[in-house]
Amino acid sequence: MNTFRKLVYPYCVWIGIFIVIPMLMIVVYAFSQAGNDVTTLSFTLANFQKFFSPVFGSVFIKSIWIAIVTTVVCILLGYPLAYFIAQKSENVRNTMILLMTFPQWINMLIRTYSWIGILSEAGLINTILSYLGLPKVDLLYTDFAVILGMIYNFLPFMVLPIYTSLSKMDQSLVQASYDLGANKVQTFQKVIFPLSLPGVLSGITMVFLPAVSSFVIPKLLGGGQYMLIGSLIENQFITVGEWNFGSAISLVMTIIILISMYFLKKVDHEVVEEGGKKV
Amino acid sequence: MRQLIQFRNIVKEFDGQLILKGLNLDIMENEFVTLLGPSGCGKTTLLRILGGFLEQTEGEVFFDGIEISNVPPYKREINTVFQRYALFPHMNVFDNIAFGLRIKKTDPAIIEQKVKKMLKLVNLEGYEKRAITQLSGGQQQRVAIARALVNEPMVLLLDEPLGALDQKLRKEMQIELKKIQKEVGITFIFVTHDQEEALTMSDKIVVMKDGEIQQIGSPTDIYNEPENEFVAKFIGESNIIDGIMLDDYRVVFFDQEFECVDYGFHDNESVDIVIRPEDIDIVEYDTGKFNGTIKSIMFKGVHWEIVVDTGIQDLVVHTTDYAEVGKEVGLSFFPEDIHVMSKMVAY
Amino acid sequence: MKKKKLQIGSSLYIALAFVFMYLPIVMMMIFSFNDSKSLTVWSGFSTRWYEALLTNNDVAEAVYYTLVVAVLATVISTFVGTITAIGLSKSRKVLKEIVLNLNDLPMLNPDIVTAIGLMLLFSSIGTEKGFMTMLLAHIAFCIPYVILNVMPKLRDLDPNVAEAAMDLGATPWQALWKVIVPQITPGILSGALIAFTMSIDDFVISYFVTGNGVKNISILVYSMSKRINPTINALSTIIVVIVTLVLVGVNVAPILKEKFGEHKIVKNVVSSKPVKYALAACIALLAFVVYDNRPNQVSATSSSADCTTLKVFNTGEYIAEDTRQRFEEEFGVQVVYDLFASNEEMYTRLLGGESYDVLVPSDYMVERLIQEDYLMNIDWSLIPNSEGLIESLTYREYDPGMSYAVPYFWGNVGIIYDSTVVDPEDVESLGWDIFHETKYAGDVYLYDSERDMFMVALKALGYSMNTADEDELQEAYEWLLQAMNTMDPVLITDEVIDNMIAGLKHIAVVYSGDATYMMSENENLVYYEPQQGTNSWIDSMVIPADSKCPILAHEWINYMLEEEIAYNNTVYVGYSSPIQSVFEEVSTDEEEGYGGISAYISREGYAKDEMFHYNEAQRKQLSELWTLVKAQ
Repeated sequence: MNTFRKLVYPYCVWIGIFIVIPMLMIVVYAFSQAGNDVTTLSFTLANFQKFFSPVFGSVFIKSIWIAIVTTVVCILLGYPLAYFIAQKSENVRNTMILLMTFPQWINMLIRTYSWIGILSEAGLINTILSYLGLPKVDLLYTDFAVILGMIYNFLPFMVLPIYTSLSKMDQSLVQASYDLGANKVQTFQKVIFPLSLPGVLSGITMVFLPAVSSFVIPKLLGGGQYMLIGSLIENQFITVGEWNFGSAISLVMTIIILISMYFLKKVDHEVVEEGGKKV
Repeated sequence: MRQLIQFRNIVKEFDGQLILKGLNLDIMENEFVTLLGPSGCGKTTLLRILGGFLEQTEGEVFFDGIEISNVPPYKREINTVFQRYALFPHMNVFDNIAFGLRIKKTDPAIIEQKVKKMLKLVNLEGYEKRAITQLSGGQQQRVAIARALVNEPMVLLLDEPLGALDQKLRKEMQIELKKIQKEVGITFIFVTHDQEEALTMSDKIVVMKDGEIQQIGSPTDIYNEPENEFVAKFIGESNIIDGIMLDDYRVVFFDQEFECVDYGFHDNESVDIVIRPEDIDIVEYDTGKFNGTIKSIMFKGVHWEIVVDTGIQDLVVHTTDYAEVGKEVGLSFFPEDIHVMSKMVAY
Repeated sequence: MKKKKLQIGSSLYIALAFVFMYLPIVMMMIFSFNDSKSLTVWSGFSTRWYEALLTNNDVAEAVYYTLVVAVLATVISTFVGTITAIGLSKSRKVLKEIVLNLNDLPMLNPDIVTAIGLMLLFSSIGTEKGFMTMLLAHIAFCIPYVILNVMPKLRDLDPNVAEAAMDLGATPWQALWKVIVPQITPGILSGALIAFTMSIDDFVISYFVTGNGVKNISILVYSMSKRINPTINALSTIIVVIVTLVLVGVNVAPILKEKFGEHKIVKNVVSSKPVKYALAACIALLAFVVYDNRPNQVSATSSSADCTTLKVFNTGEYIAEDTRQRFEEEFGVQVVYDLFASNEEMYTRLLGGESYDVLVPSDYMVERLIQEDYLMNIDWSLIPNSEGLIESLTYREYDPGMSYAVPYFWGNVGIIYDSTVVDPEDVESLGWDIFHETKYAGDVYLYDSERDMFMVALKALGYSMNTADEDELQEAYEWLLQAMNTMDPVLITDEVIDNMIAGLKHIAVVYSGDATYMMSENENLVYYEPQQGTNSWIDSMVIPADSKCPILAHEWINYMLEEEIAYNNTVYVGYSSPIQSVFEEVSTDEEEGYGGISAYISREGYAKDEMFHYNEAQRKQLSELWTLVKAQ
């Protein structure tokens, strides 16, 4: 249908302006010196050298570590949640999914601020602890607070895709497994879980990506000394004014994410299409 | 042969609707039983109750003399071939078939051997490593059968397994299924709405309608001696004529008295007469039992389908002889071709 | 039995998960009724934040921009995304692959990378940042989600339906709207819903691409971090209630319909033409009402030379609540009031192509702006109120000729501590070295700013804070590292105010003005300026050379120096007023002002106190070293 093909052209132009050019600009900035005008570019790798120094390297590793912990905890908490919800009757299920997505309608910053009120030294948890005669605990401005904030914000992104893959699963497969003598646990291990893996994988993407680059949550719940890669980029652009260095970090991050996405997609394909594990 | 399965007064209710209305059925060892009926008659429901995926509202199911209503599906010595196969998409052919054996922690060497044997049985040797998505419908079907049979169940349930296949493949699979059943020598319970399929394969056919059994019998019984109008119409094409049973072996229809082989009705009871189209012969005018005019003729491949207007009711005739439309002919049949049925009691 | 137990277990687990999900929201709603500003300590029921919400222009504006951007971005991205998806479904494979892969980029890329890409784009082509840039950015990140949702529906579609329609005489467009679109409506709707949600909730991208006072709710909340304002809680509570009502309505309506068996009738009514037109009219009316009621509307051409709009760029919480509104009323103009978190951020934003009429930078930044020819000469004849300025604040080294900058607030940096916990002896004897005193480890806040922290370190070491000597800076860096490693400090900025008042920790580096406010709220707090010397600073109002409204800008500056206004500002903010009479009054008045609070009268003329000077080499070193300090 040639008539319909033309419908793509406006968006092709749009992609050029709003996706390709910005990306190219990041590349240009990343490979040039501070203060360089676009007209008088000089190529340099200094920004990358700086980034791969031990200090920034550790920021990078910490960001990835925090994101991994967040993702793993989200799977551990989110999978059973999605599974249990998928077991309920249809009405109950729909209501629960609605309740799951509902908090997204409230500004993420406001929800995160609320945690300050819960975690801080005079906050809800410590008030309860002291009421019970227990010693106060330092919660705010710790790894715990940052990870908690991320889990809180990103958990629905793990639960929803898993829930979708569980609830869309062909029930006759589960019955076939019972029919062939597998009990509940075995059926879960051998049929339900492997079939829900695509959901888990897309959950991983949807949690890991924002977690690794978040700068608002660490800033609010971790304090200013809590430097993650997202905060580093923001810092370079907003306060330090080192756009070139900031661009270099962004570029590295984009490349790493695209590579990991590529592999995740590959795994996804193997899980779904090629019939899985070898005997 | 001993009785393997007994359904006793099975009632199943869904949302206030009666799907099964107090059903009794015995199934023998080693039998190929077909549950036949139009969609919504409850045949699949009955199968799922036996498989353990549904629980009956009332009644009992005995398996080998033991009530099994509370036995979970994975503990029943019954396996199912599902309507759309339900093969595990994340496993290859071998893993699918080996699934049940692995669950039972069977020795890998034995698994290998048994799976190989099954693949041979279903004519899929060499397909072990294939992904499920790479198989055709017929091949998937075979894998599903192999996956069920490898567990050596006492009963195999097949829920319209041929529904998704094309005509030719269906025919092949019908023969193959029958062959497989003979080879493994266990009970097959087969659900279908296709009467031809049922007649081809079964040892015993159970005709169902609206949650009730209409007739149980061998294919020939069902075909030749339908117990009521529904069965007669559902199994093949039939001419059904109103008649009156004068007394044993004498019946009146079309204002004439005929000799027949039926007996045991009340005198002068109103009955339905069934004459199969292929049992009627077209003969020269005035040489048959009565006359009629050829109304239409249609070529059906093996035979012609001719509609004859007798003045009272149109009759369908299947014959290999051609006849011209408008021609006046005589119609003839033998006494044993007249099947007399009681009028159906309306529910 | 076992089954039952399992069921109860799973229900319990789900319940716990929802407690986790809703705890912060419930907290937020509860504290929207709190009588005090605190988000942690309950001090009584009140609806004052709801009342404040009604009068708060910033919030109204933020809601307006959030909604308008979200609605426009949703409509446009849904339209473009849908037709693109339809086009793609018919396109050749190569083009399709390329477009879809590029389309994935904004979804896979971290928000912050997308954000800086767009920011670089906008600033390099010199667009003025604001509403348009924000809208374009939102459309840009919404379209991919629409395409993502529509594509699968198209894949499920019978490929021949369009052909069938055209075979029956439909034009391609008719085939599109009458056959294809109706069949993919669920996908379009879910795409639109996601686009709307993403737009409403976006912070990062908006934060980087907006400017000129255009703020959405997220940015407003973020810039409010200095003494967070519970009006936002009130607003969120209202949003929660509205969304709940809508969702309940949407979910209950079909049940009711079914119950009353009016399904068909209702459907027919809704789909009948007159009703459609009526619905469209209602929506249009609603749109008009929203548009008409948008905050402080002055003809859409902001920043034109006729000067109905003045653009002010200041730090957060640095002006009395009603000052801006009073100016607007008095002069019949609109004030676009934008906030920055630090001088450096302000500078970066100017670099990013934003233009303002009045800025409020600190001394060293004024120096930099003068050096870079960024500022306009002040016409003192237009600022008669400058008569009242405290003399010692005039003709200072950053603007020796008094030709560019008009003082706004002034003060020092010092230490604030809780005298019930911290021994005053320690503070007075150690000075800045208190931040190496491990006795107080875990009990200190440092200020998250490279300049202030290096000032502390350099002064503690006895050096000038303006040094560019590498060894001295290296020493200061190590001093800070030691503080970070041994004292377990928390680096915060404006949260220090609330946290110190609440007594969460007991020693902090503060600005004198913040200290004034903190001491007025918590009488255990004591302010101290170390003998090692400190930063004494002056924040000034300046007019950028490219200001389009210099006259109005002068009016604003003059207005700020008016006694009554200056009084209101200083009392509200806590920083020392540059107006002699006001300063005297507030520093002596114990009832209304800050009499008796030492921090209000900060130290003047002490030999070891210094003012920052602009030095690019030092700035770079500081920011680099500071990043290193934080990164470790």
